This record gives sequence, C-alpha cells and structure tokens, in this order.
Amino acid sequence: MKHIAKVLTLSAISLALGACSTGLDKSRNLGNPAVSGNTLAQQVCSICHGEVGSNVNGNSVNPTFPNLAGQQKDYLVAEMTEFHEHTRKDPAAQDMMWGIARNFTPKQIEELATYYSKQPTRANPNPVNPALAAEGAKIFNEGNLDKGVPACMGCHGSNAEGNGPIPRLAGQHQDYLYKQLMAFNSDEMVEEKENNNAKDDDLERPHGVAMEGIAHGLDDHQKHAVAAYLQTLK
Amino acid sequence: MGGLALAGSMNANAIPIYARQTGQACVTCHLGGMYPQLTSYGRLFKLTGYTMGTRPNLTDLEVQKDAPPISVWLQAGRGFTNKNNAASQPGDTQNIQAISLFSGGKITDNIGGFLQWTGGNTGGGYNFTVDNSEIRYADRNLNNGNDLIYGVYVNNHPTVSDVWNNTANWNVILMGFYNANAAAQTPQPFLDQYGPGQSEGIGAYLYKDTTWYAEAGVYKSFTHGIATTDLTAGSGSVFIDPSPYYRLAYSKDIGAHSFEVGMHGMISYAHNGSWGTTVNTYRDTALDAQYQYNLDPHYIGAHARFLHESSSFAGDQVGTTAANGSNYLNEAWLDVSYVYQAKYGGTLTYRNITGSNDLTLNALNTTTGSPNWQAWIPEIFWTPWQNLRLGFQYTVYTQMAGATSVIPGQTLKPSDFNTSAFYVSFIY
Repeated sequence: MKHIAKVLTLSAISLALGACSTGLDKSRNLGNPAVSGNTLAQQVCSICHGEVGSNVNGNSVNPTFPNLAGQQKDYLVAEMTEFHEHTRKDPAAQDMMWGIARNFTPKQIEELATYYSKQPTRANPNPVNPALAAEGAKIFNEGNLDKGVPACMGCHGSNAEGNGPIPRLAGQHQDYLYKQLMAFNSDEMVEEKENNNAKDDDLERPHGVAMEGIAHGLDDHQKHAVAAYLQTLK
Repeated sequence: MGGLALAGSMNANAIPIYARQTGQACVTCHLGGMYPQLTSYGRLFKLTGYTMGTRPNLTDLEVQKDAPPISVWLQAGRGFTNKNNAASQPGDTQNIQAISLFSGGKITDNIGGFLQWTGGNTGGGYNFTVDNSEIRYADRNLNNGNDLIYGVYVNNHPTVSDVWNNTANWNVILMGFYNANAAAQTPQPFLDQYGPGQSEGIGAYLYKDTTWYAEAGVYKSFTHGIATTDLTAGSGSVFIDPSPYYRLAYSKDIGAHSFEVGMHGMISYAHNGSWGTTVNTYRDTALDAQYQYNLDPHYIGAHARFLHESSSFAGDQVGTTAANGSNYLNEAWLDVSYVYQAKYGGTLTYRNITGSNDLTLNALNTTTGSPNWQAWIPEIFWTPWQNLRLGFQYTVYTQMAGATSVIPGQTLKPSDFNTSAFYVSFIY
C-alpha cells in the first residue's frame, strides 16, 4: 500500500514537472540551435508573418511585415542570411529582423525557408486603388523604357511568381513593396555619389544591386502604382 | 500624499532588457516607440511570459554573447504650477527625479519576469522600493489553425498584467499628473490606488486565437513578514482581504489597424486602518477600448475607459472613513496619441471624475464634498533616438472638487493648479 502511494506521489511529481516544461517543440528560444525551423515559424515568426485562425502561416495581417507564404526558397535563404549577417539594412530589417535572426543556424534558415516556401498563398485582402493598380500593371508588363526601366515581368515572371533568388512579389503588401523600392532607390543615390563603386556597408540592400537603377527610374507615383498592382496579383 | 502621487506616476515602461533579449528595437513592441503602449507583438511577448528571444548563457545551450539582465531608467524634469501662492497650495515649481532598475526577461522557455525597483524623493525623503513586478509561466499551443496561449502569474498589484494600456498603471501619459499638492487629491477609483508591493496576487489567463482574452486573479495584503508600504486610501492605511480581479477582451487586427474592446474590474474588501476593523467594499467595473494604427511612418493610439465604482462602508465606519454609508464614482478616460517616424509625437488626454458628494472623503470642497474633477492633458514629445525622450506636458484643470471657479473653503480656483512640466526620460 505504501509502495503504491510512493508510486502515485512520484508520478504526480513527474507529471507536474512535465507540465512545467514544454520542450523544444514549443520553444520560443532564439538562442538554442536545437529548436527547429518549424517550431520557430509557429511560435515566433507567426506573430508577425502569420494570421490567426488560419491553417496557413506566412500571410501577414499588418503590411509592415511581408507575406512569406509561397516565397521562393532561395530568396528566403538569402534574406535570412543577410539579416543574420547584418548586410540587409533597411530600417525594418534592422529594427526587427537582425535580432530575430542573430543566432539562426544555416540549418534553421534552411528549415524556415522550406517551411514558408511550401505554405499556400492567399489573395491579399487589403484594398488598393484600381486606377493606380492599372498604371502599375502597365509598368510591370512593359517597363518604363524612357527611364531605362525594363518590364518587371522579365525577371519576376508574368504573374510575379519569382524564380529562385528572384522573389515572388504577387500578393505582397503594397506598403512593404513601396518601402523596398525606396531602399533600392536610396542605394542608387549612394552609388551615384560613389561612382557606382559603393561599398556593401553603405547600401541598405547590397544584394539588390540589380534593382537600384530600376527603382530610381520610377518616380514616386510610379513606385506606388507598381506596388499596388503587385498586391492585387494572386 | 504628494510623494505617493509622484511615485505612482513613475510606472515602468520600455525595458532594454527585452531589447537585448530579442535583439529588436523599441518600436517592435511599443507603438511608435511610445512606451508603455504595446503593439500586437508586444502584447504577445508579454502574454507568452517574456520568453521569446535569448537569455544569458546559464546552461551552455545558448550561442549568443551574454548580456547582463539589468537596465536602468532615469527621469528628470521640472514642473511649474500656474499660480505662486506661498501661503497655500500649490507651490509654483517642483523638481521631478526618479530612477528605476529593471531585471527579468526570459528565465526558461516558459517562465519569464518583469521586475522593477524605483527610487525617488517621495516628499518624506529618498527611498528605493519595489515597483511593478511579476513572474509569468506561459505556454502556447498551435495546431490545425487553433491557437491558445495560457499562463499564470504572480505579481505585486492588480493591473500589472494588463496588455492594452487601459488601466491607471499603464496609462499612456508617461509622467502622469505632476501636481503633487492639492491636485494630487483627485478622487481615484480604488482600483487605481493599488501601488506596487501593497498587495500580492496570483492570476491565470487564456488568449484564444489572439482574439478572445479572459483573465482572473486574486489579491491580498500581507499579514506577516517584512514591513512593506501599506496601501492607502483617503487618509490612512488599508489592508485587503482576498479580492478578485478580472479582465475580458476581444481583439482584432485588420491590416495596420488593431482594435480591442473589453471590460475589467475588481471587488476590493478593505480594512481601513488595521486588520481588525470592519470591511468596506469597493466594486470597480470598467468598460475599455483601444484603437491602434501601426505602419511606419504613422502611429496612432487611442484609448477609452469608463469605470464605475460603487463603494459601501460598514456601519461603524460611517462618519469616520466616509460620511455616507455608500458612494459612487465614475471615471471617464480618453486619450489619443500620434507619432511620426517614431520620433515626433503628441498626446491629448481627457479625464473626468464624477460621483456622490462626501465631506469626509472629498474634503477639499468644504461645502459640498464633491469629487467632481476634470482635466485635459496635452503633451508633445521628441524621441531623437529610441533611448531618449524629451517632452512637455501641460495639465489644465477645468473642474476641481465640483467647482469651476474658486473652490468653496479654499482661496484658489482650478486653473491655479494648471501645471507645465518639461521632462527627460532616458533608458538603457
């Protein structure tokens, strides 16, 4: 009888202790390399890049945070690596992603990129100005040749689905896209000052060199227009 | 009393401990950097027990460099009241100084804390005491589209647990009311009067789909142990029997907009003066709402709170603690803030108190004992970098003790108490 009581007590203690530690599968520890990318995606990344009550993670609610669902895996790996190495320096990247990614391991980055590239995409629910989007469609499909801007679809695909290191833009938030175009634009200004020899440290998005001249070739209104159009794509 | 009001206004806000733990900037968790206002992300950080991020390398698991889990907050300023009347309140100027130390953050994957100590001159001399403090255990289950955050906490006064900045403890105005003299006698709902360390509580909460929130806690004053500051209400110390606190909320984010409506309240069973006295009961019930817009460069935050208190006093306390056997108090609180580029901002706050007349509780007006008070508090501030905030706040009293001109029994009118305050807030 005493023995049974002992077993019951020990079981109760183990249960209580077990309940107090969730283990790695629900961890929010950004400093432990043993936490899997999938766990981080759910416990941490989903707070900004996810939507509550949906089975799909990677479609964000607030346009501050880009949609990641269905993004090109190579591009995701490249960006997370840049956040980790502090080479991508647009303000939101510095404020939010440098910290998140500072201890990411290559394995976690690989797992996170795989996870998000496989999440199903969804139409962006936020409204855009249809007239503005129509202007943007023209730029996306035909470019702005007067200023040397080629058609966006040439690299990003006819439906902006992206390809490897070239990101998917379809359904991305207009505000996010506009801010990134502004980052490329500002890098182009730095390049002009430094005779197209700017150091990576001086650029917000040094791996986006291909976008610098393009962003600079679009005026402010055109940047908004092409961003609006991209948000409407599914 | 003035010192208490001053100390009460120095509540905790942004802590770089968390910035070190997550590696993120203040704007991630605080709307436009306007601590203490929390963003949706900041709310989840708190509700998941401050456990996101890294922690000092205690177990060799972590790969990051150690950062000491300590930070410091300095506040300094100078206030000027409208009228200099040496013979009576208010005084014309006052200095504002406070220093806080913080610790806490992630302890395990499920346990984290918020620990604050604050020092300042509270009128009776310099002291350094425990301020807002809590330890949480939290977990989050995510599967098949279900999302449930649940947790328990131990903390040192009601509303420390609030994440919508809609309680007196986490109001958006950083420096509070700096009128440490007669104006500090603004009648306050009992729930607003709890100070850190004057009661201890435990509570539990659920947050379903980051939409539905429910929380219940219970608080009690210590009966034994090291002497702490007593909770005071009116003129003397108050001791609390186990008293329930609750909070319910519905929240929803749509695009860059974030909405919340909810209610919270507490029933406080209070012994006035000592544990041996009969119990007075304060029932506080508040409806509250929050709106936020969070998309750089524009940040907007707005709050509305309507609190009703009904208090009843034991028969033998009538005539000493209160003139009436029962009273009521209504508080309306409205604020709206805007910040551009997380740097240049302003806040407008409106506070209105109405209630039943009681010559014992509200002694400023010697004719009616009216608790009716009304104030507007415009503020502008500049955050040149995220650790430093400079601000100017003006408090306009349009009604005081039920009077809009000279207060019966006094020589001053409400506008004589209008106060300007410059302040500097630095946190590292």
